[in-house]
Amino acid sequence: MQTPAIHTEGLSKRYGSTLALDSLDLAVEPGEVYGYLGPNGAGKTTTIRLLLGLHRATAGRAELFGRDAWSDAVAAHRRVAYVAGEPTLWPGLTGAETLAYLANLHGTTDAAYRDELVERFRLDAPKKVRALSKGNRQKVQLVAALATRADLLVLDEPTTGLDPLMEQVFREAVLEAKQRGQTVFLSSHILSEVEALCDRVGILREGRLVDQGTLAELRHLSAHTLDVTFAGPRPQIPELPGIHASIVDGSSMRFEVAGELTALLAELAKHDVTSLTSRQPSLEEIFLHHYDGSGGAPVA
Amino acid sequence: MRAAGAIFRRALVDGKVVTASFAVVFAAMGFANAVGYRRTYPTTRERLELARTFGLNKAVQLFYGRPHDLLTVGGYAGWRLAGFGSILASAWAVFAVVRVLRAEEDHDRQDLVLANPVSRRHAYAAALAAVAAAAVILWLVAMLALVAASLPVGGSAYLALVTISPAAVFAGVAAVASQIGATRRVALQLSLGVLGVAYLLRVVADIAGGAGAVRWATPLGWVEELRPFAQPNPAPLLLLGLAAAVLLVVAGAIVTRRDIGNGLLPAHDTAPPRLGLLRSPGTEALRAERGSLAAWALGIGTFAVTVGVLSTAFSKANISTALEHELRKLGGTSIVTPAGALGFYFVFFVLLLSLFACSQVASARREEADQRLELLLALPVGRARWLGGRVVLATLATAALAMVAGVLAWIGAAIEHAGVSLPRLIGAGANTLPAALCFLGLGLLAFGLAPRASVGIAYGLVVGAFLLQLFGALVGAPGWVLDLSPFSHVAAVPGAPFRAGAAAVMVAVGLAAAALAFASFARRDLYAG
Repeated sequence: MQTPAIHTEGLSKRYGSTLALDSLDLAVEPGEVYGYLGPNGAGKTTTIRLLLGLHRATAGRAELFGRDAWSDAVAAHRRVAYVAGEPTLWPGLTGAETLAYLANLHGTTDAAYRDELVERFRLDAPKKVRALSKGNRQKVQLVAALATRADLLVLDEPTTGLDPLMEQVFREAVLEAKQRGQTVFLSSHILSEVEALCDRVGILREGRLVDQGTLAELRHLSAHTLDVTFAGPRPQIPELPGIHASIVDGSSMRFEVAGELTALLAELAKHDVTSLTSRQPSLEEIFLHHYDGSGGAPVA
Repeated sequence: MRAAGAIFRRALVDGKVVTASFAVVFAAMGFANAVGYRRTYPTTRERLELARTFGLNKAVQLFYGRPHDLLTVGGYAGWRLAGFGSILASAWAVFAVVRVLRAEEDHDRQDLVLANPVSRRHAYAAALAAVAAAAVILWLVAMLALVAASLPVGGSAYLALVTISPAAVFAGVAAVASQIGATRRVALQLSLGVLGVAYLLRVVADIAGGAGAVRWATPLGWVEELRPFAQPNPAPLLLLGLAAAVLLVVAGAIVTRRDIGNGLLPAHDTAPPRLGLLRSPGTEALRAERGSLAAWALGIGTFAVTVGVLSTAFSKANISTALEHELRKLGGTSIVTPAGALGFYFVFFVLLLSLFACSQVASARREEADQRLELLLALPVGRARWLGGRVVLATLATAALAMVAGVLAWIGAAIEHAGVSLPRLIGAGANTLPAALCFLGLGLLAFGLAPRASVGIAYGLVVGAFLLQLFGALVGAPGWVLDLSPFSHVAAVPGAPFRAGAAAVMVAVGLAAAALAFASFARRDLYAG
């Protein structure tokens, strides 16, 4: 078995009285695109700071490619590129100078690919960082990180401030990285982005990983949803095991099905159905399943 | 009005540490000068001797301006406090005003503020009102310190007012500079440049023969004409108030017309890439700091030439025994020879270089506070390498500034044929380094252990130790307390022999503190600002 790109065991971080990360066990395999989901304050950035050895874990351990994230940080970082969520950068340097500085420090940068990315992201390279908008500063960081072709890209909410066109360029670049076998750890709360890019998803809530798996796996945990419209007034449907029925209006009903569909379909066949749609839950519904929308306890 | 009140309170609270620090300095200077004078010159005979010698000395007037009455406690305290304190108050006003008017815009916070139902005029007035309120606090504290030293209340209030008064003009200068420059840095450079010129004009007026009229060309000269405790003449206060009002109205007119976030001077935001000094964090720091290094070199160089020229101003004939005694406490040597005078002056270079070392700690801390350090350490850059680069830069730059001081003091001394050789003055420059490096190490240790408070601790240690050195003996502090200050262990080279033992101890303390700093920084989390 190959060494995981990211491996954590019981990784915890406490700031004063706040437990920001509670016993995280995570394994991201090389070549995987891992989506790390959670609302603001769930502990996403804390996790990344621990993975990069910027903050020291209160308990547990983290490894990048088998190297300890804290004690062997420099060696680990030779295979890592990072995009921070709050790009401040060096205000007096231009975009091009920033790229040169970061490339010097990283040591390995594909200059041709960097120039290509500058074009694709339409980066205003001669402009000083202090005069760039947040989105444009983000583009400087993204170009610098992607151009390293590092084995592991750690991206902390990388598309905040990007316009939809640039967001598209970003997605293409991540998929290219994936095709080259690079690993991507994508922290985000933009669900469509995670749904489009990620092989596996972890959902973080108040410092705890509450759910993890491929999108298909996460969906199996939840119900199919059937929306049914009848020709006349809605009939009386008997209670069936594992099926939750709710009334939409006079002629329509919604069924949430946890297990087999057969029994419900057999029952529906007895009536005059004019429309039936079945769908799997979106990532958004899975995500909201873990939060009741007000940030409180998860819906049971 | 509600929004303006919120801006006022925010600005006042943001500046509270700086305001409190300056209040302590003003209080210490006011109290110690009055009490110290009473102790050192108890009789009229000694006071006459002081007035005849020290008061007419050009070298001393460099710092304190022209004295009016050295025969009374109030006259002496007025000369010492207003002479030097007026420069400090002006610098305080520059930093405070640029902070509330320009630094807010640098960080785009002013956009957020002005998006509320508050006019630019009110926001501007509220920010300045906060600075004015802080100035009132400084005035009150200085006055209370003088009253505590048994000076009359009315005279104390006037002297404190005189000391703070140029702050109004330089608040106006900084307000206009904040409209002209598009960044905090440019606004500070412009304002401090004006302050530097104002100070040089006062020096010319005070110590060049027949140039007294120049005094009317500088606000710091108007302050001298206010004559606290020596036939007070408050009329120049009108001049100060008028100048301040004109500048503040001009800045207020610009602030309502210009684009928020920009200044009148166009910012050069586009440049062809210059890739020099980008190989490592240490060289990048040198690149980022080069402007400020040049400014330090210019300031220290100018001061060094001046003290070199003035090194022959003391002579046996015009120095009193009581004064010799007082100065020995500062520099531990006789100042009647040029070498002795230079040794006395180089104590101030120890102060300046120690403050420079603090500025390097502050610069390192800023890289962490702005979260740029997170990006660096996420690269294959180790913590020791990053901090090491900063320490090497700080050490080499401090050493270079010490050499600038030595060489330029020699040039100044050579102009006056003072007969102090270049190697001796380079030695004097080098002699300032152990104390500065000791403070650098202690500042780094604060950075390692308590990053958020480190900048305040670093500057606080230097200023506290210097005040202790300056006034500790005057107010009769016990010897072991005085010995805590590294300044008391710096030999007055070239006037006195180099104290290798003391220097070695200071370097050892600095190194030990730096080693602990590396160890603690290697173990801690990074803290944003």
